[in-house]
Amino acid sequence: MDSRRIIVGVVLLLFVLVLGLGVALAAVLFRGGVGGTGVSAPAAGKAGTLTTLGADPPTLDPALAGDVDSASYIVEIFSGLVTLNKKLQIEPDIAERWQVSPDGKVYTFYLRPGVKFQDGKPVTARDFKWAMERAADPRTESILADTYLGDIIGIRDMLQGRAKEASGIKVIDDTTLQLTIDAPKAYFLAKMTYPTAFVLDKDNVQARRNWTDRPNGTGPFRLKEWKKGEKITLERNSLYYREVAKLERVNFLLAGGSSMTMYENNEIDIAGVGLADIDRAMDPSNALNKELTVTPELNVGYIGFNVKMPPFDDVKVRQALTYAVDKEKVISVVLRNLVEPARGILPPGMPGYDSSLKGLGFDVAKAKALLADSKYKDNLPIITISIPGTGATLPPTSEAIIEMWKTNLGLKVEIQQVEWATYLDDLKKHRFQAFEVGWVADYPDPQNFLDILFHCNSLENNSQYCNSQVDGLLNQAGVEIDPEKRIALYRQAEKIIVDDAAWIPLWHGKSYLVIKPWVKDYFVPPMVIPILKDVHIEGR
Amino acid sequence: MVPYILRRLLWAPVILAAVTLFTFTLGLYGPGDPVQVIMGLHVNPEVIDRIRSERGLDRPLHEQYISYVAKAIRGDLGESYTYRGQRVSDLIFGRIGVSAQLGLAATAMALAIGLPLGLIAAVKQGSWLDTAVVSATLFFYSLPIFVTAPVLQILLVLQLGLLPTGGWGGLFDVRIIMPAIVMGVPSAAVLTRLMRASTLDVLGQDYVRTARSKGLFERIVLTRHVGRNALLPVFTVVGLSLAGLVEGAFITETLFGIPGIGRLAVDSLFARDYPVVMALTLIVAVAFILANLFVDIGYTYLDPRIRYQ
Repeated sequence: MDSRRIIVGVVLLLFVLVLGLGVALAAVLFRGGVGGTGVSAPAAGKAGTLTTLGADPPTLDPALAGDVDSASYIVEIFSGLVTLNKKLQIEPDIAERWQVSPDGKVYTFYLRPGVKFQDGKPVTARDFKWAMERAADPRTESILADTYLGDIIGIRDMLQGRAKEASGIKVIDDTTLQLTIDAPKAYFLAKMTYPTAFVLDKDNVQARRNWTDRPNGTGPFRLKEWKKGEKITLERNSLYYREVAKLERVNFLLAGGSSMTMYENNEIDIAGVGLADIDRAMDPSNALNKELTVTPELNVGYIGFNVKMPPFDDVKVRQALTYAVDKEKVISVVLRNLVEPARGILPPGMPGYDSSLKGLGFDVAKAKALLADSKYKDNLPIITISIPGTGATLPPTSEAIIEMWKTNLGLKVEIQQVEWATYLDDLKKHRFQAFEVGWVADYPDPQNFLDILFHCNSLENNSQYCNSQVDGLLNQAGVEIDPEKRIALYRQAEKIIVDDAAWIPLWHGKSYLVIKPWVKDYFVPPMVIPILKDVHIEGR
Repeated sequence: MVPYILRRLLWAPVILAAVTLFTFTLGLYGPGDPVQVIMGLHVNPEVIDRIRSERGLDRPLHEQYISYVAKAIRGDLGESYTYRGQRVSDLIFGRIGVSAQLGLAATAMALAIGLPLGLIAAVKQGSWLDTAVVSATLFFYSLPIFVTAPVLQILLVLQLGLLPTGGWGGLFDVRIIMPAIVMGVPSAAVLTRLMRASTLDVLGQDYVRTARSKGLFERIVLTRHVGRNALLPVFTVVGLSLAGLVEGAFITETLFGIPGIGRLAVDSLFARDYPVVMALTLIVAVAFILANLFVDIGYTYLDPRIRYQ
C-alpha cells in the first residue's frame, strides 16, 4: 500500500477527532453563552430528588460490609431487628419489642407483623436465622461476623467450620426469634444494629452471583441502579413497614469530582468542606456560612506509646512527652480549630463521655521535672514515631508536635512514614516505638474504645498497655446491667489510662458539610445510621 | 512482514508470564495483607487465617501461581478483596474503556496542537514565533494537573458557565473537553519540543537541500520531505505513551469524577488487592506489547527503507 495514503488517512482521522471536539465545544459555547447560568447535571433540580457525591462502596452485601462507605448505603436499603436513632440510642426496628432473660443471656425478639421485603414477600424469623448463619458460613468470607455475631452461641463454631448451624439462634415461630449469647453482655443489642445482623431474602441472595446489583432488602429505600464507579440511585420503598421515605429518589455520584465547585454550580445538594474552603465557610459574611453544618465525629486521633519498649516503659517519660505538647495551640494554628482537642479517650457524643476529665494538659515545668526524674534522664534512646502515609513531606501537625518537644524538652524526635498496608503489619507486630493513628467508633459504647484498645488481652491494644486495676474495672463494666454504674466504671478506667499516659490523646474530628437551604431535615450523624428517610426537599 | 508479526506475537506469552510471575511474587512476599487492610486497625488472626485459606493464600507460591494462570487463561481473573464479592473482570472492563477514550481524546489534542506547532517553530527557528512557542511549551509542561484542572474549572464552569464541573458521558460528550485539555496540553508541549528538534535535524539533511535546489515549492518540501521524516521519532513516543495512557491519569480522573482505571489502580495497590493489581498489570503489559508492534509496523510505512525479516 502507498505509505502516503496511510499518512493522509491518519491525519484525516485525527482531524475529524479534533473537529468533533471543537464542534462539541462550540455547541456548548452557543448554548451556554446566552443564559450564562451554567450547564447543570440533569440529575439535580427535581423536587423529591437529593443528589450528592458518594463513595464507591466496596460492597452492598450486609454480611461483607466492614467499612463506613458500604454501611452508609446498606442501612438505607436493608434493615435489622433493632436500629440506632439520632441520639444513638437503640430503638425497635423490625423487632417491635424484645425481652432479656434474668441471667442476661437469652434475647427474645418479637417481629412487627406485616413486615415485607421490597418485592412484597413477608419477612419471618427464619429469614433472620438464615441471614446470620450465612454471614457465619466460612465460604461467605465475612470479616465482621465474628465481631458482631460471635457472642451468639454456635456462630464461632460455624466460622471455624465445626458446625453447620448456630444453636444459639432459635426460630420460635414466624414472628419470634430467640438469640442466646455466651455471657451477659450489655453491648450485645448495640451490635445487632450493624449490617452483619440484617435480614436477607434467601431466594434473592442465591439467585445470582452479583445479587447485590438487585438486592431485595427491607430498608426505606430500594436500589434502583448501581453503575460501578459512576452512580448509585436509590428509590423510595413504598412497602416500608415504618413511615415511608419523603424523598422519591437519591442520587449518589460515585466518580468523585471537585465537590465545592459542583456544589456552588448546583450540581449537588450536599458537599464536604475541606481545609481549602474552610475559611470561606466559617466567615459569617460569606453566603456559604449559612449552609454550613458542623457535627462532632465519634473518633479520636492520638500518639500511642509502645509501653514495652524503652524509653516508654517508664511512665514518667510518657507523661513528660504528654505534658510538653500544647494541643490547643497545634489545633488553633495548624488545624484552624477544625477539630476538638482530646482530653481523654472517649469522644464527645459517645455514651460515657466525661466532660469533667481534664487530662494531662500542657505544663512545661512538670514535663521537665518528670523527664529529669525518669530512669532515662541522661541516656534517653532515640525516639521514633511512626505515622501512616506516603508523602515526602510530614503532616504539619506532626512537625508542630516535634518542634514542641524540641523547644520544651530539648528532645530530638524522628518521624518515620510508613505506607498503610505495611503500617498495619508493623503495628500489629508491635514493631513501632510510638505511633500516630486514630480510632473510629464501630458502635456507640465505651467498651468499643476502652476495652478494645486498653485491655491486657485485647489484640487491638497496640500500645501493649496492661494494668490489672484497669482490667478489673473493664471486666466489671462489661457485665454491669445498671447503665449508670457501668458508665461510672468506664470513667474510672479512662481516668487511670489517661493518667498513665498510655497515649497522648490529640483530637476528636468534626465533619463540615454545606447543605443547600432547600434540603430539609438532613441530619448529619456522628456515625453510620439510616438518615435519608426523613429528608425532604422544599422550595428548590 | 507477516512472519515478523507472528514471531513477535509468539514472544508475547513469554513476556506476559515473566511479568505476571514477577508481580505475583512481589505481592506474595511484600509487606501487607489484603485482609488486614480491609480490617483496618481491627485485629483478628482467626478471620485472616480463615479468609486466607478460603482464598488459597496459604498454599505454596508455585501452586498459587499455576492455579492463577490456569484460571486467567480461561478468562477468570478472580475476585477482588476490596470490592467484596465482585469479579475482577466486572470491575475492570467498564472502566478501561472509559480511560482509553479519555486517553484517545487527550492524544488527539496533543497531536493536533504539538505537530504543527513544532514544525512551524523549527521552520521559523530563531524568530519571535520560535521563542514564543518554546517558552509557552516550557510553561505549559511545567504546570501540574492539580493547578490547571481547578483553574479551568473556575474559568469555564464558575465564571463563564460553559461546562459542567465534571462527570463522564463518553467520547462525544462535552464533559470530556476539560479533562482532555488538562491531560493533552502537557503532552502537546512535549510533542511540540520533540517535533521541533526532530524537524530541525531533518532540515539540515542533504536531501532537503536537494529538494529545495531542484525547485520544489517550500510547502511540498515541508510536508513531503521534512514533515514525514521528522515524524519518525515522534511516532515512537506517541505510540508508547498511548499504551501508558491505558493506566489512566489518576489525578485527572479523580478531579473530574471520571470512572476510569486510574484511581482503581492506585487504590488496589495500596489495598494489596492482588487479583486487581495482577489483572491491571496484565492489561498494561498487553497494551505495551501491542503498542510496540504497531510502532514497528508503522515505521515501515513512514520510512520505506525499514524492512522486517
